Amino acid sequence: MAKRRAAVRAQALSLLLALPVAQACELPGGSAEKLRSATHTIVYRAAPALRVGEHFALELAVCPATKELRVDAWMPAHRHGMNYRPSITALGGGRFRAEGLLFHMPGRWELVFELRADGKTERVAHAVSVE
Amino acid sequence: MRRALVVVLAALAPAALAFTEAQTRAIAAHGPWPPAFAPDPSNRVSGQRDAIELGERLFFERRLSANGTVSCSRCHVPERNWTDGEPRALGLARVDRNTPGLKNARLQRWFGWDGANDSLWAQSIRPLLDAREMGLGAAQVAALVRGDADLSCRYRKVFGAVPEEDEAVLVGVGKALAAFQESLVSGRTPFDELRDALVRGDAAGVSRYPEPAKRGLQIFIGKGRCHVCHLGPAFTNGEFHDTGIPFFIDKGRVDPGRHAGIQKLRASQFNLLGRYNDDLGRATAIGTRHVTLEHRNFGEFRTPSLRNLALTAPYMHNGRLATLRDVVEHYSTISPDRLHADGEAILRPLQLSVQESRDLVAFLETLSDGGGRYERRLLSADCR
Repeated sequence: MAKRRAAVRAQALSLLLALPVAQACELPGGSAEKLRSATHTIVYRAAPALRVGEHFALELAVCPATKELRVDAWMPAHRHGMNYRPSITALGGGRFRAEGLLFHMPGRWELVFELRADGKTERVAHAVSVE
Repeated sequence: MRRALVVVLAALAPAALAFTEAQTRAIAAHGPWPPAFAPDPSNRVSGQRDAIELGERLFFERRLSANGTVSCSRCHVPERNWTDGEPRALGLARVDRNTPGLKNARLQRWFGWDGANDSLWAQSIRPLLDAREMGLGAAQVAALVRGDADLSCRYRKVFGAVPEEDEAVLVGVGKALAAFQESLVSGRTPFDELRDALVRGDAAGVSRYPEPAKRGLQIFIGKGRCHVCHLGPAFTNGEFHDTGIPFFIDKGRVDPGRHAGIQKLRASQFNLLGRYNDDLGRATAIGTRHVTLEHRNFGEFRTPSLRNLALTAPYMHNGRLATLRDVVEHYSTISPDRLHADGEAILRPLQLSVQESRDLVAFLETLSDGGGRYERRLLSADCR
């Protein structure tokens, strides 16, 4: 099992410039991916670890805190998304939990985060490869 | 002398490990096999011996049909790897789809070609109620259980009591049938021996795997990209795809596949969001809660497992393809024009040579355990 887990490597490539983060934006406990939009920082972690063909959730922190967040994913090369629409629970203070995601094929996926704040919408995409 | 030379050459032959590191990783992902048993949390009698015994008895019970002649085993024939060899199954009447084998069914996320059920026990209820398959209602199933002393006794042993509500009795029958089917697991195959030898770095073990099958495996995980959908130890991603098989049935009828399956799932009182799920936390219902209905689902059918594939002809959701050679030919020559314009862009004609097609078939044949005779359990003495 451990070997299989090791075989499923999640390689994250930020599609955005790796700019210095202006403020601390963290998720407690362990490593997490950190992304920047023009006005926000998004930190996320998959739980359980990302494995092809298995449901997973995302723990998220958005700074500065927003009240609305959408999460989706698609496979650009295959021109399809997931077969599931994640549900988002706002935990307060910019923390969210997205549940119900499933990558049903190996390859390169793009997680898409949509933030809504002050009447504006921002989208941040993050490429993730699963084997 | 000559024998010794052969042994030395075999020991030195790097060609025996004729897979790259990436290929070895891809092959290793199709195992290990068999997987450990894990009870289904949605079925409180999953894995219990008495439930398996009751389920087996019910599986072969012809009285579970409107005219008393059709049992589950009519279409799921043990000696035919739990299928029937027919393009489309024949219960009380001819149905629209091919009978899937039952081995390893417990590993699925969705059940049926359209995934209209989200548990093995709900899927086991479906043919009981289908007018073309077994043609009963909950009241008739409950009456049989209540009226047969042995069935009634075994039901009580498994569930504690026979409920007053007919539908609850029906659900118990579905859960016992599921417990039995969970016990049907395919055995080790030549592919599993290869896979484990590769993981161990055992060149001699790898060399025992036939060369044509080795070449076919390289196509499967290489130019064929078959493993994109047929992934993991069970060789399936458990999801749904349009593979260019016509979904017309006859007389202008079409099979909408997953599109109707999702709607049936949502409407079913037996789905995992409902009151019959024994998993009180409903963690088992995560797929049902989040599945989406899209136009592209029309004509999509579930990716079948490839284990014991050679024993389950004919193929595809409507049994349209008679042999494994026909299946390989289909993917070799598939026309993108036959796929959804707004669907996924995965399939393209593989344009395999005759030799490549033979090799791919040779590989697919190594995914079977050889079948064998099924021995029914000896039921414990008369139930009291």
